[in-house]
Amino acid sequence: MFSARVSQRTLRLFKSPGRRFQSSAPEPPPAGGHLPSVATSALLRTTRDSALRSQGISWTDGDNDGPPGSVIAGRETRRMNLYQAVRDAMSIALMKDDSAVVFGEDVAFGGVFRCTMGLAEEFGRERVFNTPLTEQGIAGFGIGLASMGHTAIAEIQFADYIFPAFDQIVNEAAKHRFRSGGQYDVGSLTIRCPTMSVGHGGLYHSQSPEGYFMGASGLKIVIPRSPVQAKGLLLSSIRDPNPVIFMEPKILYRSAIEQVPIDDYHLPLGRAEILTPGSDLTLLTWGTPVYHCEAAVHLLSNPPPNLAPHVPASIRNAKIELIDLRTILPWDVETVTESVKKTGRLVIVHEASMTGGVGGEIAAEVQRRCFLKLEAPVRRVAGWDTPVPMQYEKFHIPDALRVLDAMIETLTY
Amino acid sequence: MSRIPRISASVRASLARRTYASSTVQLPNEAHGHLPTSQSPITSKLHFFNSVMEEGKQIPTYRVLDGSGKLLEGAEVPEFDEALARRMYENMSRLPIIDNLLYNVQRQGKISFYMTAHGEEATLIGSAAALDPNDEVLGQYREMGVLLWRGFTYDEVMAQCFGNHEDTCTKGKQMPVHFGSRKYHFHPISSPLATQIPQAAGVGFALKRDPLRRGKNCAVVYFGEGAASEGDFHAGMLLASTVPSPTLFIARNNGFAISTPSSEQYHGDGIASRGPGYGIHTIRVDGNDILAVLSAVREGRRLCIEEGRGVLIEAMTYRVGHHSTSDDSFAYRPRQEVEDRKRIDNPISRFRLFLESRGWWSEQEEEKFKDEVRKEVMKAFKRGESLQRHALKEMFNDVYAGEEPWNIREQRQELWALLKKYGNVWEPWKNELKKHKGEGKELIEGDV
Repeated sequence: MFSARVSQRTLRLFKSPGRRFQSSAPEPPPAGGHLPSVATSALLRTTRDSALRSQGISWTDGDNDGPPGSVIAGRETRRMNLYQAVRDAMSIALMKDDSAVVFGEDVAFGGVFRCTMGLAEEFGRERVFNTPLTEQGIAGFGIGLASMGHTAIAEIQFADYIFPAFDQIVNEAAKHRFRSGGQYDVGSLTIRCPTMSVGHGGLYHSQSPEGYFMGASGLKIVIPRSPVQAKGLLLSSIRDPNPVIFMEPKILYRSAIEQVPIDDYHLPLGRAEILTPGSDLTLLTWGTPVYHCEAAVHLLSNPPPNLAPHVPASIRNAKIELIDLRTILPWDVETVTESVKKTGRLVIVHEASMTGGVGGEIAAEVQRRCFLKLEAPVRRVAGWDTPVPMQYEKFHIPDALRVLDAMIETLTY
Repeated sequence: MSRIPRISASVRASLARRTYASSTVQLPNEAHGHLPTSQSPITSKLHFFNSVMEEGKQIPTYRVLDGSGKLLEGAEVPEFDEALARRMYENMSRLPIIDNLLYNVQRQGKISFYMTAHGEEATLIGSAAALDPNDEVLGQYREMGVLLWRGFTYDEVMAQCFGNHEDTCTKGKQMPVHFGSRKYHFHPISSPLATQIPQAAGVGFALKRDPLRRGKNCAVVYFGEGAASEGDFHAGMLLASTVPSPTLFIARNNGFAISTPSSEQYHGDGIASRGPGYGIHTIRVDGNDILAVLSAVREGRRLCIEEGRGVLIEAMTYRVGHHSTSDDSFAYRPRQEVEDRKRIDNPISRFRLFLESRGWWSEQEEEKFKDEVRKEVMKAFKRGESLQRHALKEMFNDVYAGEEPWNIREQRQELWALLKKYGNVWEPWKNELKKHKGEGKELIEGDV
């Protein structure tokens, strides 16, 4: 089996590299340097039309407020950053659902990341309120509300501070339906929390704890990459019949800006999104590293002079399939394996530490399902297995260069 | 267990065996007797209560000096002399000088974060002065004043806030103000709230088990009224009272947890009302009156060590500054309120008036002292700013002790190999490496 795999790989690499790595039009290096800022990312939907045509979008208009079903004509978008899109989603949820409440530490004045700005004024302090500082209390309170059929939208101020709520989330929220034989459920609970690195947060303001929840079946974990995604995925999460942990990459709150549809819409949970199609390597990620991966793809196809010696000419035309996983639990095994079967190569990128990270789970499943199609070992690019060290943070997160290097290694394996 | 005959048996005795107060059946003097398992008297009156004090009354606040620095009628001045008084005042006065500088340089992007202690100087310095320098302190994050009292230098403050290579607190791994010093018995700060509270009960218990320190030292834990809402607070109080453990709980009730006013943090009578629920001696003190804090903490500490059990002090103060440099408190409280509090209830000027009334301080000394401190702080700041960070290789250290596990070793080697390959050509790393001692040359040029 092993020799068969190697010979197939060897065959492809040496006999027909030209065919395998289709040429793509060279792109100029980005104006802002080698790492294009989020603001200039081509992945962001900065026109009305592109926003309204977001993949998998479904309009969930109420009785008379907007054109029906799949009609795009007549719909409007507004320029929003990620925190404004999150706020917009909560505003819609509160408006359409009288049972919905928003609560957490400091949410009444707008939240430390401004995600609840003006909601208390708009919907009243009975529906948008501060809680005392108790994450386990916030989660437990939300479970109680949700078990009564109310819509509970809770905020944990930082994902780093979700651990006091771990018992409530893992032992209670995730297992509620199962342990009551389906009589009770807390599907209307959504817990939002800012996540991932900002570059100077250190141990307790830069963590990505999604992996800790991977074993908590019954729970969904969702991480959006942009404003359009945040609004649609958050509305889906709020209305999903399962409890959802919704982690918002905090560095994107202000820096990711898109035209966001003003109507009520959903984006599907449990579905990854192929951001750029490709045939030679699958690059899988979620949250902030989506943009590092985008930058790495640019570096691969068009390396600046000082990096060029490290990027073999033979792989510069490689077509990279960039996938945003979006829902981390349950993850879209179908899209990922279809892609890897096509490309034969998988690089997984996440900010959380390597050991115990979500990448290991995905790698295990992909190797089982795509074993004979793999041209190279599944590669993980992740935070190192240390706590996030503040003054060393730029060497800790998986940046564009580390992704580039992993792609080079995987493509030339 | 009866609460009436308080167990003041020696610490040693309670260590050797768990003491159970004998539940000798006493002849009931209550009309209807009492429950067999407690001293709770039986009553036929249907009555709910909602106060630890006499019905409807709030827990009083202990004060020694009034707002103008004059002794309150009947107040007892704690035992202290001019030298101690001056040292206390000087330490209080140093805090806003350091705070103002570091707050402003954060605004200029020179450090990433900062938290001031404006308004809480009396609580911090009054308590620090009442403690033994070897008492183990577990802070929340606003207790730099306690460290300075114990001898922590401006250079050490700057080293931590800049995360430069002289930072021994966290070796550049934590955000600014996350101090920690074994030398000064100051346990390392972590950002998660209230985690230090049950830890303090464990620290206190360790002190009690240590033959050299039992009866001499206690654990002292600082936390805000917001942190007292976390489950960890209740766990810590419960353990320190039940196990028990000599732990002094100092709640800095400064009125705000970021934006959330204390009125939304609790419905009961502050944090102090919770002490008796755990069978813990409790006092509420005017946290802006340094003499009241000094007396309360001294006495609290004495009780704590003598009984080997938790004691709770709630210091009422006001957070004059923003929560941190990430916060603009005028988004949730009027600027005028803050200005009023600064003027009407300033802990530093209150104590200064007292000192001046005794002839222990003067305008000239004030100017001279502040001038000197400003110069020293600025000198330390410039020095701290000019020093590079720790060498990059430091980042993988201190995860484990002993043999380095394979995953850490391989990841370290992976990064070193990447640096060798790209350290000179990948601009983001190249720029970042310049900030570290040795600029990564040992990794780029040396053997991996």
